Amino acid sequence: MDSVGLNHYLFVGAVLFVCGIVCMATKRNAIGVLMGVELVLNGANINFVALSRYTPLGLDGQVSSMFVIVLAAAEAAVALAIALNFYNNHLSIDVDRADDLRG
Amino acid sequence: MTANTLIHDLLRELPRSVEIFVPELILSATVVCLLLSRIVGCDKKIPPCWTAIIGSLLAFMAIFAQFMYLKSGADAKTQVVRSLFEILQLSADGVGTIGPYFSGLLMHDHFGTLFRLGLLLFLVLMITLTVLTGIPDSEDGPDFYALMCGATVGMLLAVTANNLLMLFVAVEMMSVPSYVMVGFLKGRKLSSEAALKYVVYGAGTAGVMLYGISLIAGLLGSGSLPEMGDRFAFLMGKQTFSLASGETITLVLGIIMVLVGLAFKLSLVPFHFWAPDAFEGASAEVGGFLSVGSKAAVFALMVRFVLGFDGEVPVLQSLSTFLGIGLGVMAVISMTFGNLAAYTQTNMKRLLAYSTIAHAGYMLLAVSALLVTLNAPSGSSVNPSEGAVHCVEGLTYYLAVYLFMNLTAFAVVALVRNETFSEEISAYRGLISGGPATKVLCVCLAFSLFSLVGLPPFGGFFAKVLIFMAAFNAGSIHWIMWVFVVIAGMNTAFSLYYYLRVLKTIFIDPPPADRLPVNAPSLAGWYVALIALPLVVLGMSPLQDDLSRTAQFVASSLFK
Repeated sequence: MDSVGLNHYLFVGAVLFVCGIVCMATKRNAIGVLMGVELVLNGANINFVALSRYTPLGLDGQVSSMFVIVLAAAEAAVALAIALNFYNNHLSIDVDRADDLRG
Repeated sequence: MTANTLIHDLLRELPRSVEIFVPELILSATVVCLLLSRIVGCDKKIPPCWTAIIGSLLAFMAIFAQFMYLKSGADAKTQVVRSLFEILQLSADGVGTIGPYFSGLLMHDHFGTLFRLGLLLFLVLMITLTVLTGIPDSEDGPDFYALMCGATVGMLLAVTANNLLMLFVAVEMMSVPSYVMVGFLKGRKLSSEAALKYVVYGAGTAGVMLYGISLIAGLLGSGSLPEMGDRFAFLMGKQTFSLASGETITLVLGIIMVLVGLAFKLSLVPFHFWAPDAFEGASAEVGGFLSVGSKAAVFALMVRFVLGFDGEVPVLQSLSTFLGIGLGVMAVISMTFGNLAAYTQTNMKRLLAYSTIAHAGYMLLAVSALLVTLNAPSGSSVNPSEGAVHCVEGLTYYLAVYLFMNLTAFAVVALVRNETFSEEISAYRGLISGGPATKVLCVCLAFSLFSLVGLPPFGGFFAKVLIFMAAFNAGSIHWIMWVFVVIAGMNTAFSLYYYLRVLKTIFIDPPPADRLPVNAPSLAGWYVALIALPLVVLGMSPLQDDLSRTAQFVASSLFK
C-alpha cells in the first residue's frame, strides 16, 4: 500500500470543497449556508498546507492558510451579526423568507 | 531561503516600502482614531465626520504628492507640490523607484498610483456626501466612517496587489466592511435582507475564489502574479495549449474560479443577483460607494491578474486569447442583460443597479480587448503593446468618468430622498418645479444620465469611444471582437430609452398636486454641481486631452 501523498490530501480538500458547495446550494438556513462557506475555505486551506509540504510553494502555502483562518473568522463574525440582524427583523433565518426585494 | 536572509531583505527595503505605503497607513490610523474616540468618549466633542474627512484628505495629499513625483520626475513646477515632497520626504530611491515592495507582495507603479489617487479622491467626496445627507446619525458615525475607510484600505491594496494571497486579502478586506454598510440601516426589513443576501453570496464566491487560488499557486509553485506566465510556460515545456492536458485544465479551472470571485464584485452576469437587491436595500450613499469604489479597484486587480499570463510563448498566447474571448462573451451578456432588466424598474436605486451591471459589461470589454490585442500574431497590423496601452487607457478613462457620473446620480437620489422620503421614480414627477437647489439637482442628474448613455459632449461619450475603438482594433486579430463591438453599440442605443424615461418624469410630467414644493438645501446644490462639473469638463475642454494622456502614460507603465 502506498504511503499518503499529495494527491490524497488534495482529494480530501476537493471533497470538502464539494461538500461545502452542496451545503451552500441546498441549505435553507442562513447559518447552514455559512457552515458551507467554512467547509469551502477549509478545503482550500488543506490544499495550501499540503502544497507547501510537497511543492516548491514552500512556506507561502502555510502563511496563506494562516491568513485565510483569520479572514474566515472575521467574515464569520460579520455574517453572524448580519444573520442576527435579519432574525430581529424577520423572526426567522430561513433564506427563503428573504424575498421582499425582487424585480 | 533561511529566516535570516528573509528578515535581512525585509529590513533593507522597509524604508522604501513604508514611504510608498504612507497613504494606507494614514487611513488605517484614521480607522483606529475613529474606533478609539468612541471608547474615550470624545466622539461627542469632535464629530466623527471631521476625523474621517481630515484623515482621508491627508491620505489624498500623500498620494497626490506621490503621483506628481512620479509624473514630473521629482521636478515639481509649483511651490505647493514641492513643499509636499519635502514634508513627505519623497526620495528617488523610495517613491521614485518603480517596482515591487513589501517583499514582492505589493507593486508600486504609475498605474496603481493613479488608481489609488482616484479612490482616495472618491473617498473624500463620499464622506462629504454623507455629511450633507446625514446618513450615519451621530450615534453611529464612528462605526460608519471606520467601515468606509477600512473598505478603502482594502481597495488601495487591491489596485497594488502583486501576489495571489494579496489578491484574496484585498478582496476580503473591501467586501467584509461593505456587507456591514449595506445592512447599516438597522431595524429596516429591506436593509437586513439586502445585507444577508450580499453576505451569503459574497462569502460563497470568496470561498470559490480561494480554492481557485490554491489550485493556481499549487500548480505554479508561487503566488507572485508577474511570474505566473513564465512558470506555466516552463511547466508546459513543448506541449501545446489543449484542454486535454491535466496542467492546463487545473490552471484554467483555477483562473475561472478566481474570475468568479472578481466577477461577483463587479456584478457581472451570472454573478449579479446581489447587486439590485443590495443597492435597493442599502442607502443610496452606500450604493454609490459600492458601485464606484469596489468596481474600480477590482478592475485594476483584474488587469493585473490577467496580465500575469502575458508572454511570448504560444501556449500562453492561446490561453490569453481563450480568456479574452470568454471575458468578452461575459461582457456582452452583462451589458445586454443589465440594459434589458433596467427597462421595467420603478425604483431609482434598482434602475441604477442594473445600469451599473451594464456599465461593468462595457468596461469588461476593454479587458477582453486587452487580452486579445496583447496576443496579436506577429505580422498583423496591430502592434501588441501599443494596442494594449489603448485598451488600458480606455478602461482608466472610463473609470475616471464613471466615478463622477455614478456619484452624481447616487448623490442626487440620496438628496432627493431626504426631501421627498421616497426613491420610487414616480416620486420624481415634476421635480424641476422645486426650489433653485432642486433645479440644480435635476440638471446635474440629467448631465449624469446623458453621460451614462454616452451622448456627446459629455465625458461618458469619449470614454465609450475609447473602449469601442480599442475593441474594434482588436477585431483585426479575432473577428469576434467586431461582433462584441456591434452588440455594445446597439446596447448604447437601447439604454437611451430608460434613462430618458427618468428625465421625462422629472422635466415634463406635472408635479403631484398634494406635494409641497421640493426645496433642497443650497449646499447640496453646490456639492452636486461640483461633482457634475467634471462630466462636462471631461467632455469638451483641454482637460479631456490631459486625462487621456495621463491614462496613456500610466497604461504604458504596465507594458515595459
